Amino acid sequence: MSFVRRELPTAILALCGILLILEFFIPSPILQAIKSELTTWSVIIAATSCWLGFIYMAYAQLRMLGRNPTTSQYFWFSLPFIFFLLFFIVGVSFPGDVSSPQYRWLITYIYQQVGATVYAVMFFTLSSAAYRTFKVASIEAIALLLGGTIYMLRQIPLFVYICPWLLPLGEWILLVPNAAGGRGAVICAALGALAVGLRTLAGREVTLVEVR
Amino acid sequence: MNFWDALGAFVGSFFIISVLSMLWKDNPVFKFGQQAIIGATIAQYVLFNMKNLLNMAIIPISQGKWTYIIPVFLGLLMYTRLSPSYSWLSRYPVSVLVGVGVGVMVPGLLRGQVIGQVQKTIVDITSATTTYDLINAIIILIGVVTAITFFLFTKEHTGVLGVSARIGRIFLMFSLGANWAGEEVWYLTQMIGRLRFIVEKLIKGVILGAA
Amino acid sequence: MSSTIWDKLGNIDYRILYALSLILMLIPIIRPIGLPTPVSETVRGFYETIDNLPPGSVVFVSLEGSLSLLDEQEAQYIATLKILFQRDLKVVFYSVTEDGELIYNYLFSVVNPEKYGKKYGIDYVRLGYAPLEERGQAAVALDVRSVYPRDFYGTPLDEIPMMKDIHNWKDVDLLIYYYTSCTNVEFAIRQWVIPYHTKCIVGTLGCCGPMAVPYFPDYIQGILSGSGAGAELEVISGNPGPGAMMNDAKNFGILGLLLFLILGNVSYLGKRFGGESE
Repeated sequence: MSFVRRELPTAILALCGILLILEFFIPSPILQAIKSELTTWSVIIAATSCWLGFIYMAYAQLRMLGRNPTTSQYFWFSLPFIFFLLFFIVGVSFPGDVSSPQYRWLITYIYQQVGATVYAVMFFTLSSAAYRTFKVASIEAIALLLGGTIYMLRQIPLFVYICPWLLPLGEWILLVPNAAGGRGAVICAALGALAVGLRTLAGREVTLVEVR
Repeated sequence: MNFWDALGAFVGSFFIISVLSMLWKDNPVFKFGQQAIIGATIAQYVLFNMKNLLNMAIIPISQGKWTYIIPVFLGLLMYTRLSPSYSWLSRYPVSVLVGVGVGVMVPGLLRGQVIGQVQKTIVDITSATTTYDLINAIIILIGVVTAITFFLFTKEHTGVLGVSARIGRIFLMFSLGANWAGEEVWYLTQMIGRLRFIVEKLIKGVILGAA
Repeated sequence: MSSTIWDKLGNIDYRILYALSLILMLIPIIRPIGLPTPVSETVRGFYETIDNLPPGSVVFVSLEGSLSLLDEQEAQYIATLKILFQRDLKVVFYSVTEDGELIYNYLFSVVNPEKYGKKYGIDYVRLGYAPLEERGQAAVALDVRSVYPRDFYGTPLDEIPMMKDIHNWKDVDLLIYYYTSCTNVEFAIRQWVIPYHTKCIVGTLGCCGPMAVPYFPDYIQGILSGSGAGAELEVISGNPGPGAMMNDAKNFGILGLLLFLILGNVSYLGKRFGGESE
């Protein structure tokens, strides 16, 4: 039973991975066809499991309600479902489905506004974090502040108008020290990902497949 | 401005202010907006993926592409995660997803992100045509090498390695600084967008009655 | 213990600073300034890559977009669409996020292809949405029809005139890759550029642009990073759009952040060199 529960899924994982790696190095129509089929399958699997998100949301809300079964909690519990039903029903009921003017209204005036404002709020939280922590206390902090501030001001027309040298300096910071640091990080991250990937194919990295 | 656009201006402004109110303190109005977006996002995801499933799998299966029954079945097995007794069945679709993901990632990773980046760092020096380009290429080489030494965690950063790691950290701070700067300007843009919505749609469009 | 001026500077109530930032942001919205926008090397690369395409070239536009982030990327999208439709190119649009299709709906209402003499199915096609991660991009590169057997309107691809000769990476001359998750630039590089040497230009958020620079210009020939880059693209292509307005509004809005930084550091330096230690 352990074979069916553990070894067989790991073997399938390794087989899929190895076939696709081989396809890259060996020009073979059979391997190409396998790659095309497997990559399409992975998209279909993702699409088929789309209701998992709704189920997890329902489960999380039920747990919160169970911990605190007050009248107000019932209201908060039902709210996501109300909006889910509102968007879902409008999205399937009108001609054009998700392209209908009715769905577009909901998307433009509710979905887009809330989502965009969540990011907008980050301006203030990040600014207050910078106020508390971005101090010129070390060379590294100076590098971070200097590089960041110059690159930021390079993007603001008013400052480029007042100090034209910000333009070439900002570009230089982006294309030289940022590229250098970024490239080093990319190489190391890639080596790390490679190690994890190969360990996964060898069945040594169980966390990616394990179910909790 | 028609009724629905005017209503939309009020509703949109309400939701903008509800989320902004969390800057003052956590409050029920913010929570209302938060819960609304949870339900809306999931509905959006389900709607589009059901349509996608129809086009990618159901219709081709009905037209004779029987092999697509396998990924549909595997996708359904994902729901067994919800059952403690049968959750092990979801290892099968996850294995396919992870295996395919690793398989498509590894070759490109090696060639593009490791070999390619090292190659470019060296080629930049050999192909530099001006002194300015050469100096920049040398700075990049120093930055790349020292940044890589920073990520060596199996040896203590002392002596030459310590100096190299410190220099690498400085280069990485430039990268992080550029990232941070980009984020700040991005969030600023988002905030300006919300203010413009309130000013143009609600204040100018509805309250002041401009077209 | 009495607090010094440096302590006071370092402990200002955030809400005062937030309110000040909001006021500063509102000024250019109400009264625009209108300053010139310089064009950077990465944006120039983006524009010239499209401009140098021979007539009849096939361009794939992959959109990983979010409606919540439209403020940041709207200018990029609109300017790119105008540039594409102003040229004799065959453009295939597809999206990898649910919001992507809604963004396309909006974009096509703003930039009407027919105004440029473009016909659906002959000059451009919308494939629709599929949940493409890196695996999905690999699938599209190998065989478009495996992921998109039909277009956004439900027409089989083989019945669309333009798509008769477009099957996989061999038929693609340029990939325009829009993304919002910083590391996703690697999907395009690993699945299009490395295996098939497809020319690629990218558009992304302001914070993700610096992370794409290590791949410029060898793997990515152009980068649009944030709304500022959208404004720059408008300038270099001669297509006015929303980017200029957004750029203008940032002029005073950034002063709030600078104030935060200056106050925090003046407080720190004052405490450090004024005899107190933190």
